[in-house]
Amino acid sequence: KELRLSHQFATGDVRHKVAEMIAEEVAAANVDLSIKIFPASSLFKANDQYIPLTRGQLDMTLFPLSYAGGQQPVYNLTLFPGLIKSHAHAKRVNESPFMEELEKVLNEEDVKTLVRGYLAGGFASVGDCVTRPEHVKGKTVRAAGKGFEEMLAHAGASIASMPSSENYNAMQSKILQALNTSSSSFVSFRLYEIVDCYTPAAENALWFMYQPVVINKTTFDGLTPEQQKALTDASAKAEAWYFEQAQADDAASVEVFQKAGVKIATMTEEDIEAWKAVAQESSFKKFADEVPDGQRWLDLATSVE
Amino acid sequence: MSGTLPGAVSGPREGDAFIRVVHSISRLCGVAAAGLLIAALLVTCHMIIVRSFLGQSTIWQTETVIYLTIGAICVGLPYVQMLRGHVNVDLIPLAMGPKLRLIWMVLILIVSIVVVAMIAWYSWEYLHQAWKRNWKSPTVWAPRIWFVWTAMPLGFGLLLLQLIADLWGQLRGYERPFWLEGK
Amino acid sequence: MDPLTLGLLVAVATIAVLFSGISIGVGLLVVAAAFLLIFDGPRSLEMIPEIFFGDLNSFTILSIPMFIVMGAAIASTRAGADIFEAIERWLTRVPGGLVVSNIGACALFASMSGSSPATCAAIGKMGIPEMQKRGYPDEVAAGSIAAGGTLGILIPPSVTMIVYGIATETSIGRLFLAGLVPGIMLALIFMAWSIFATWRAGGAHIFTGRSYSLKERLEILPRVIPFLVVVVLVLYAMYGGIATTSETAAVGAVACLVMAVVIYKMWQPRAIWGVLRDSTRESIMILFIMAAAGVFAYMMSSLFITQALAEWIAGLEVNRWVLMLIVNIFLLVAGFFLPPVAVILMTAPVLLPILQTADFDPYWFAVILTINLEIGLITPPVGLNLFVINSIAPQISLRTILLGSLPYVMCMVLAIVILCFFPWIATGLPDLVMGEAIR
Ligand code: NA
Ligand code: NA
Repeated sequence: KELRLSHQFATGDVRHKVAEMIAEEVAAANVDLSIKIFPASSLFKANDQYIPLTRGQLDMTLFPLSYAGGQQPVYNLTLFPGLIKSHAHAKRVNESPFMEELEKVLNEEDVKTLVRGYLAGGFASVGDCVTRPEHVKGKTVRAAGKGFEEMLAHAGASIASMPSSENYNAMQSKILQALNTSSSSFVSFRLYEIVDCYTPAAENALWFMYQPVVINKTTFDGLTPEQQKALTDASAKAEAWYFEQAQADDAASVEVFQKAGVKIATMTEEDIEAWKAVAQESSFKKFADEVPDGQRWLDLATSVE
Repeated sequence: MSGTLPGAVSGPREGDAFIRVVHSISRLCGVAAAGLLIAALLVTCHMIIVRSFLGQSTIWQTETVIYLTIGAICVGLPYVQMLRGHVNVDLIPLAMGPKLRLIWMVLILIVSIVVVAMIAWYSWEYLHQAWKRNWKSPTVWAPRIWFVWTAMPLGFGLLLLQLIADLWGQLRGYERPFWLEGK
Repeated sequence: MDPLTLGLLVAVATIAVLFSGISIGVGLLVVAAAFLLIFDGPRSLEMIPEIFFGDLNSFTILSIPMFIVMGAAIASTRAGADIFEAIERWLTRVPGGLVVSNIGACALFASMSGSSPATCAAIGKMGIPEMQKRGYPDEVAAGSIAAGGTLGILIPPSVTMIVYGIATETSIGRLFLAGLVPGIMLALIFMAWSIFATWRAGGAHIFTGRSYSLKERLEILPRVIPFLVVVVLVLYAMYGGIATTSETAAVGAVACLVMAVVIYKMWQPRAIWGVLRDSTRESIMILFIMAAAGVFAYMMSSLFITQALAEWIAGLEVNRWVLMLIVNIFLLVAGFFLPPVAVILMTAPVLLPILQTADFDPYWFAVILTINLEIGLITPPVGLNLFVINSIAPQISLRTILLGSLPYVMCMVLAIVILCFFPWIATGLPDLVMGEAIR
């Protein structure tokens, strides 16, 4: 049996390697199961993967769960300011009751999680560095994630919505003055060629995005027990590696930007608290108001030490 | 191969009442499509001014422009079909005699009708689901997907209607197959 | 079924269906639906509307109607005629001045637009009738614009280069620079051929046109000022940090509409509706084909045909130049059927590592790839630029457009050969501006 896995990332990206690792391990297990990978949006566009997945038209995907925030608003919590402090914290969140509750929502949509993983990110800017909320005031910023956009808008930034393919040109011509995304995306979009300052995820980080490997549940249940075991074993192995790489990715991105002569800025613990204060007044409030059961979900997500 | 847009400027020949009604609907679609395109243009300009000169957030504009244009394209499909504006390559029909050419034309219209009907049907199912489950776009603005998606079943549904009128026109002999002059 | 046989089957079916007289957009949907139904099962049909919608759901593609409005607005007023009258008076001593300036205009427009059909539509709308009026053969009038339009994705900014840069993790800035000189070279080759073809078709009289006095040359200039203002405005919006590449299209379109109404007194609703009707019809025709081509590309990707062929090439053990030849033929054939962006997404991740192993430069290869895909834009069965010309110049038959475009295909093949012998044409400028690449 062959499963089809689609994702949006280039073949050099750590997320493609995670998918490859699962495919190789499953093939090595010799249980008559193979995984065919469609990288770089060559089958579905990034935002168009979730619905085919829930209907079993696509078997597997590795994608930012918040992209499906329009279908299930709670998914927006997987890319939300001030919920996760560090990779170690992210790992604890992965094993928390919050994730268990989230898995129930996924299961109801006929989706099952195989690999959990968070990637961190930061800011890149032309002109001055961005470390504190007041730095984005009056700047045109493109953020990934609804919660982050609300927080940045509250801090006085003007939010630009433009397709990610325009990022490079827009930053080059200074239409965009700051950008908020993951470490690996900063590198693959080659933003170090044009930006002046980079604020990476380091000891203190603000931006974490949950990007799991998921499978259609009916498809998974239809596999033989041996095949299921091979798949979950491979996923466990990939998850451990993904966690290591997520941290290595942050460091690697700093190296790339440094080599390109970009100034590197760091956020202090106090900076993070300042961002969180802005988030409390904006994205937290909005989430609690708009999403049914929103406050309970927020409490659940923030309860992880 | 020959030029294939003889009706593009003058519009197609009318037949009976059914065809006239369908053509009026398609014409209305054309006006709506042009209006949506103009709206898209103005919203884009508004976005540029608000962002670059007033320094404000542009949260809804990009998506609005995309949806307006998609709306224009879908809703405009029957209008362009009525004008014979969908380009085709009539290499095979050119080599045919008049009788075979009519059969061929009818066959092609039926195939087109089947595929367009299928897309209209599945679009409708998607619309129904998006409405029932209240899907939204994953952005800060978060418009409801069903509202935007209405364009798909509507556009393909009306294209289906126009194709049926075209088929009727062929069967009744109001128009020449492929709008080619007879040999 | 092995992918080679399946690919052949798709190719034959596509050619047969698209030449049957069915409209191109519907034809592509028919082929895609049939193959999905047979080889992927009925459930995959459910997804066709989503893929169709998803292909249109992109701001970059949607700039095409805006560029079409821009071209239609200029063409509908005296502005278009004035510009060409000025060119005629000033370039009367340049052989084939009009076709040369049309290709030049395509190259200039390409520096504002990232899309080939848009470039074609904007310049062709006024350029083709003017060339016909002044005695250029139909083949040259249509072919030069169809080919000139392809410069849109080679001369920066370019949508396909951005997609290539992201898919292969190469520098987008460097890719843009790499496309510039080959783009200009290609424009010059197009010009040379156009002059020769016009002369050969007995258009010698065009080259010995009447001469104009200095007074006649100067008095036309005020009449092109409005147009120049629009061009300056658009370039300022784009390079002055006001608007992105796609957004610039709207600035140009609105500026041209305003110019038509205010300066050229296009008051009557009838005239304005004429412009709107034509640009709506052309936009819908072209975007319908593009979205349908996206569904077709989904079918190709889903059946793994393109990827399997790329992998098959990857496994070949041949001399590096034989490899390059095979890759070129493969890209050429893929381009016949698929839109450029789809080919890059499906093949670049597989092909690029092999080419790098064989010691080919990725930036140089991006240019080769782009020219190959440009050829696909002016060849059947899916030649977007051909359809655009067919739509904006219905007085010229598709047969003539096709015959007129074929020599330009040869020009592009020539450009590929030149680039193989002199790779520095592509890599020289980026190396000069950005320093030697780390390869
Ligand atoms: Na361009
Ligand atoms: Na082609």
